[in-house]
Amino acid sequence: MSTESGTALTATAPGPAAGPARRPRAPDPSRAVADRPVDGSAANAVAHASDLGARIAAVIIAVAWHLTISLPAVLGVGPGMAAPPVVAVGWLVTAAIGVWAAVRLLHGGLPPARRLAAVLLLVDAAVVAAAGERYLFTSANWVWGGLVWFFLLVLWRRPVWWLLALLGAHAAIALGAVLASGADLTRYAMSVYGTSSLPVAVFVGAAAIAALALDRARTAAAVLAVEAEREAAERARRDRRDRLVRAGGAAEEVLAALAAGDADPADPEVRRRCVLAAARLRRLIAESDDVPDPLLHELRAAADLAERNGLPIELVVVGTPPELPVEVRRRLADPLTAALADARGHARLTVVAGPDEVVVSLVTPDHDGADATGPPVVDGNGPVEHVHDRDGEIRWTQTWWRRT
Amino acid sequence: MDADLVAEDVTGGRPFGVAIVDDHPVVIDGVRAWLVREPRLRVLATGDDPDEVLRLAPGADVVLLDLRLHGRMVLDKLAELSAAGLRVVVYSEHTDPDTMLAALDAGAVAFLAKHEGREHCVATVLAAATDRPYVTPALAGAMVGDPRPDRPALSDKEREALLLWFQSMSKASVARRMRISEHTVKQYVDRARIKYTRAGRPAATKAALLARAIEDGLVRPEEIGIYRSQAQTDRPTP
Repeated sequence: MSTESGTALTATAPGPAAGPARRPRAPDPSRAVADRPVDGSAANAVAHASDLGARIAAVIIAVAWHLTISLPAVLGVGPGMAAPPVVAVGWLVTAAIGVWAAVRLLHGGLPPARRLAAVLLLVDAAVVAAAGERYLFTSANWVWGGLVWFFLLVLWRRPVWWLLALLGAHAAIALGAVLASGADLTRYAMSVYGTSSLPVAVFVGAAAIAALALDRARTAAAVLAVEAEREAAERARRDRRDRLVRAGGAAEEVLAALAAGDADPADPEVRRRCVLAAARLRRLIAESDDVPDPLLHELRAAADLAERNGLPIELVVVGTPPELPVEVRRRLADPLTAALADARGHARLTVVAGPDEVVVSLVTPDHDGADATGPPVVDGNGPVEHVHDRDGEIRWTQTWWRRT
Repeated sequence: MDADLVAEDVTGGRPFGVAIVDDHPVVIDGVRAWLVREPRLRVLATGDDPDEVLRLAPGADVVLLDLRLHGRMVLDKLAELSAAGLRVVVYSEHTDPDTMLAALDAGAVAFLAKHEGREHCVATVLAAATDRPYVTPALAGAMVGDPRPDRPALSDKEREALLLWFQSMSKASVARRMRISEHTVKQYVDRARIKYTRAGRPAATKAALLARAIEDGLVRPEEIGIYRSQAQTDRPTP
């Protein structure tokens, strides 16, 4: 077994030459943002707040129109219409639908669009017929201009073509009445255009404003996330640089002593210092995670400590550990750090991590001879299995977490 | 370590010819010094340009190729040589799993990390010369941690053997842990490697590895699913 091997095997693309400044896995901000759930909730809250304003406005327009324009007109004409009770019942039904839809909208929900739209169309046809030819283009036929605002309420946040279809049906009902009465088609066209354009504009405008707000909020969340990631990466880089300076100092010292002839390469102590300095430098160079992973951080700290006590150690990492609960992380790392404190000679610390599995292992020479060997001791309680094994040649500590 | 297993298969007296391609003379000298002590190997040519080296040694059985030449990753050259049937052992300091797996995909017979030492180097070259797999601990780590969705399907035992080999670097200890013989550990590890001949683009070297594995009874052709027509014999796996 070589003690001088120590290259991290973190999943990275084939990168440029290995060196202290190498940072093979630059965080991809767009991906980091796309993966983040934060922009969902926060941004949606902003969009919701902005949409609520538009809902209130739409409800006020519909209610005000119904009470201040439609109602006086109906009352004003009264019995002159073909079937006044039908017109009155239509007005009441529409008012009820309006109240229902308004309550749903102001509580953040949406009214049942299809059913209410169908009822509104029935009211539409009934009132047009009940108002009679004489009042076709007057405000007593209140559905002409008043009903479209209720369309807006029941179809809130639905696709715009639903509204266009409903307005089309509304126009078709009116057209039927106009043709039956032989009234002026130009006047009809003007009425349809005049009553439909404003609700469509409000509907589309509200949707656009909500979408814009959502977009803005997402961008803001993304900027924050990228900023946080950048800061973490910056901190990791600073940490690494500091440790590199320390490790480089140790290497420099021993190299200088060798060059000056003060240290003898044949001296076991000098060789041990070389091995240590090399192992430490190699480990630092091999670190390739830009954002510190807590498990690797703990293991590295333990390795650093063991190394300061003179133990050459290699740390090899394959894959990236998933986010783990503190308890799991503790159970994964603690047996290893304990074994590391007891290690002699050299140590090989490995991590193999995937989304559903993390295996950490420490192998060191067995220093108490073959007497103390026995079958592997397995602690399979809890989410992490812990195996301790000695075979006279090596001491093997392994912790293994599997997603259940 | 595993060189002895390979040694039995060396056919007769002629030593295997090795070509070394590296752009650092000190590395060439070091590797040559390692290989020179092995009588079954002879270094035929060395240099920093693959084409030049192969022109000098057209009969090389194995090419030891540094994956990074003059600042450039030469995966394309590796693929070209492998497609032409040259047994290329990639020899690199770039031991991140992606690079190792990419080298296998491109047709490298084996991947050797520069820090893995003489023992592994000689064993790898000897195995490569006879179209047999050799998996170093570093490569075992890359295979067991392979995150790609289209990675070869390894059996539980194969995965376990790879993982323990990667962790302990001692087949004896792996054998003890798995309660099987060292020979069987090597078989599991080698079978996993053979399954990787399916990954990436086809190459003559992959076909040769697979054909030899089938001949040796290491795998059955149906376990791999392709190259079936190249199976000369179909002995059950011991």
